[in-house]
Amino acid sequence: MAAILELDGVTAGYGPTTVLRGVSLSVPEGGVVSLLGANGAGKTTTLRAITGGVRWNGDIKFDGNSLRRMSTESIVRHGIAHVPEGRGICTELTVDENLRLGCHLRRDSAELRKDYDRVFEYFPVLKERRRLSASTLSGGEQQMLALARALLMKPRLMLLDEPSLGLAPRVVRAIFEIIRTINQESKVAVLLVEQNARIALDLSKHAYVLEVGRVAVEGESSQLQGNESVRRSYLGY
Amino acid sequence: MTLTPQEQALLQLVVSGIATGAIFASLALALVLIYNAMGLVNFAQGEMAMFATFIAFALISRGVNYWIAVPATVVLAFAGGILIQRVVIRPVERAPILALVIITLGLATLINGFAGVLFGYVPRSVDSPFSVGGVGAGGVYVTYRDLGVMAVSGVVLLLMYLLLQRTTIGLTMRAAAHHPEASRLLGVRVSWMLALGWGLASAVGAVSGIMVAPVLLLEPNMMQSIIIYAFAAAVLGGIESPLGAVVGGLIVGVTVNLATLIPLVGGDLQLAVALAIIVAVLIIRPNGLFGHAVGRRV
Repeated sequence: MAAILELDGVTAGYGPTTVLRGVSLSVPEGGVVSLLGANGAGKTTTLRAITGGVRWNGDIKFDGNSLRRMSTESIVRHGIAHVPEGRGICTELTVDENLRLGCHLRRDSAELRKDYDRVFEYFPVLKERRRLSASTLSGGEQQMLALARALLMKPRLMLLDEPSLGLAPRVVRAIFEIIRTINQESKVAVLLVEQNARIALDLSKHAYVLEVGRVAVEGESSQLQGNESVRRSYLGY
Repeated sequence: MTLTPQEQALLQLVVSGIATGAIFASLALALVLIYNAMGLVNFAQGEMAMFATFIAFALISRGVNYWIAVPATVVLAFAGGILIQRVVIRPVERAPILALVIITLGLATLINGFAGVLFGYVPRSVDSPFSVGGVGAGGVYVTYRDLGVMAVSGVVLLLMYLLLQRTTIGLTMRAAAHHPEASRLLGVRVSWMLALGWGLASAVGAVSGIMVAPVLLLEPNMMQSIIIYAFAAAVLGGIESPLGAVVGGLIVGVTVNLATLIPLVGGDLQLAVALAIIVAVLIIRPNGLFGHAVGRRV
């Protein structure tokens, strides 16, 4: 299947600190790919590089076009929804206003109404709390809001940065189930950054493990799960 | 119900205080708009308003109808605010906040001097478009001018509220102000939202200048006391709160008017009352009436 996202020898860092030392990976159209690794391995920086939040060298292609020198705003307008670390919820705004921010660029109102219905089907709690301030939501509900908002952007690729962070196991399972449904129903590709390797590998077809800014291991998720030495040395379970 | 002469005098001061308060409210709102967008107090806000006022009355003195000249000036002020943000502020956007504050102080001096060269320093009286006279009820008298100022300010503030709270562009402006990084990831052009904030602030400020000019005399230093009242209003309301700016403006307007009753204060120390309000608020309730406590996560 054609790749929707391709990273080729990407290096990046903050000031004098190099974080990514030549990362190459690809996400197939409509596929789910996990990006795993320890703290500080460069997972978040990889996502930040893709949406232009950090300067990088090498090449990043989305849908065949290089993202070099493009601003974050332009990149996401091409169809990448990035749910950042900490979820990026605007806590001064209401739930509804956060959702409206997700689709403020869309002009296809009939389609949008359907997407709203679908989002509320996935996350009924958001419909109940539409008028409340987003700051009143629990962590899990905020993660749902972030996913819902990303979905309303009508992306072709979603970058999810640790959706499980700080959530109870039951909530994590529910959220991952919805990510699976979203991927299957709307054919949106997902690049998933996770510390929780077990649940990420259950969801993804392919996975990369980063170690100090390089891809240390890659392969089919099922193979990585089955390989005990990989599990022990890189995935920690 | 009849009021005693003392009550009438008091009520009279309150009513005229509301009119001046409406002017402070507009300028305070301008300060809040820029503070919200970039955490910066724009010390040039008053001078920008003064310059716009000169343009408005230059147009009027050349025979342009008041009700055409004023909207035209507001549009020009909007464009001027965007221009200032793009040319002066944007190149140093990431500079420390102190550097930005000093840049706005420099901008204030620059605009002040430029206005002096262009229009001269001789104070001139300008006419209010509202007819002299007024209406009275129960012994309290409201001039048409005060009513006009209240009406115009009220409309401007209402329009700003609708723009910020009810439109998509207002929503993206608010998001960009509070969460620039998250907003960028949603495709909001944050830098242009800042420019838009400057444009709107400049436009609202211009209205306050045009409203106050017939009360004071039009000259380059006209806004220098008004900006202090506006600071007091913004600080009192909570420097981050547009609603607070409006309420703060009205309270400051009424308070400085009532303060004239205090024998020592009279008409001479009204500005000192405003400064006292600033100091008192900063000591007792630093976040103002409508501000949220600023928490810092570590």
